[in-house]
Amino acid sequence: MSFEIKEIVESAGNNLPNLFDLSAFGVLWEEGSIIYLYQEESCPHSFTQEVVKNMVKVFSILGKGTDDVSRFSIQVEKRRLRPNHMMVDPKATLKSYLTLPLAVEGEIIGCISINSDQPNAFDAQDLQFFSVIGYQMAATLKHFQRFSSIKSIAIYDTLTNLYNRRYFEDRIRGEAQKAFYSGSSLSLVMVDIDYFKKVNDTFGHTEGDRILYEIASLLKTSVRKKDTVARYGGEEFILILPEAGLEEATMIAERIRRLVESTPFEIGQVRMNLTVSLGISNFPSHRARSKEELVKMADLALYDAKRGGRNRVCIYNAPKE
Amino acid sequence: MAKENRGGKWTSDLVLDLYSNLLMEVWEVVSALIGEAILELLFNLTIQKIGEKYPFLNSLKVSEEGISSDGVREVCRTIPPIDIHRGFQGLINHLFHLFSTLAEGVISREVFPKVFPKVREAERIISQK
Repeated sequence: MSFEIKEIVESAGNNLPNLFDLSAFGVLWEEGSIIYLYQEESCPHSFTQEVVKNMVKVFSILGKGTDDVSRFSIQVEKRRLRPNHMMVDPKATLKSYLTLPLAVEGEIIGCISINSDQPNAFDAQDLQFFSVIGYQMAATLKHFQRFSSIKSIAIYDTLTNLYNRRYFEDRIRGEAQKAFYSGSSLSLVMVDIDYFKKVNDTFGHTEGDRILYEIASLLKTSVRKKDTVARYGGEEFILILPEAGLEEATMIAERIRRLVESTPFEIGQVRMNLTVSLGISNFPSHRARSKEELVKMADLALYDAKRGGRNRVCIYNAPKE
Repeated sequence: MAKENRGGKWTSDLVLDLYSNLLMEVWEVVSALIGEAILELLFNLTIQKIGEKYPFLNSLKVSEEGISSDGVREVCRTIPPIDIHRGFQGLINHLFHLFSTLAEGVISREVFPKVFPKVREAERIISQK
């Protein structure tokens, strides 16, 4: 679930207790198989389970799969929803509820529910009001769902699931600004698969694409959480390593080189080993004055690695003046 | 098969008229409570389910504007009135089941007073044959 969608659910959870006398408010969101539950802090666990079970049941009756609760992850947020009322009885059971599908253009994307431990807590007027809220919420959630998917298309490379070049440009701008301003370290590692053209020419582009995907996965597992791995173009990848000095960057690059070298790749019926060449640039060590210069330095270092025989890591070497 | 009654109208037409009016009334009341889009969805789910046993119901047309039984009329000419009655009864029962699942008795309380007399009337028409 994207941050924006979580915000919408949270906002509803914060405001609905002002409109209805409820013990719990739930949103079942199909895309993430998630149920968000905002409920009175004194609600017993058994009540929570009843609410969840009921929402999943409604969702299945609406033709959306089974009523298997375990397929949903449940996030409960306990709040003081009814400050003027008595605490919920520890043995309270679900006595009243209104559950409506979140439907947009004939498609059910989830459901919302208000629940109470009191009998006949909701009437026709509440239902009318709640349905208006439901329509608004469905439309807003759908809007953000579309927005998230467009955003994802815009920043990810569809073949490797790595960030794309455009995202890299955005990210390096921010990281370089931060490093140049604060003087903190910033390293770039440019990676290129050795003799990749041969793979494509011998085994075809489908196999070549699969190799790109597998090497991209290896890159992702070799970096730190704060690092960015992007496809730079063709069989070239680039890593942004914030706050990494030359030593740490070299360690990461060397780890990648060894990992690729020792991983057997199955291409068609053949099992073979591949290698990568890597070039490193660093701020402030290499005195780059712009992000473009830092990228160029990593590229030149990569060129050195290729020229030096491939399957190696090279650090940018400034030309002697 | 359908029979012509004393007034010259087919029994199946009478039953169909009755249920058509009833569905329109249900539509009017419930759409005001939960909105047309959700109601359309519930009607379509119901038709899909009950239509498996009573295929003539698949000719009902539901849109956000309401429910139309024009397409059903021709089909119903060849169906015994008791089956038309049972089909619509099944449809209404399932619809009420959905209403209860969503909102306990809140919707049913508003609609039930309209439904009960009409179903009784349909039973009376059929028993008159």
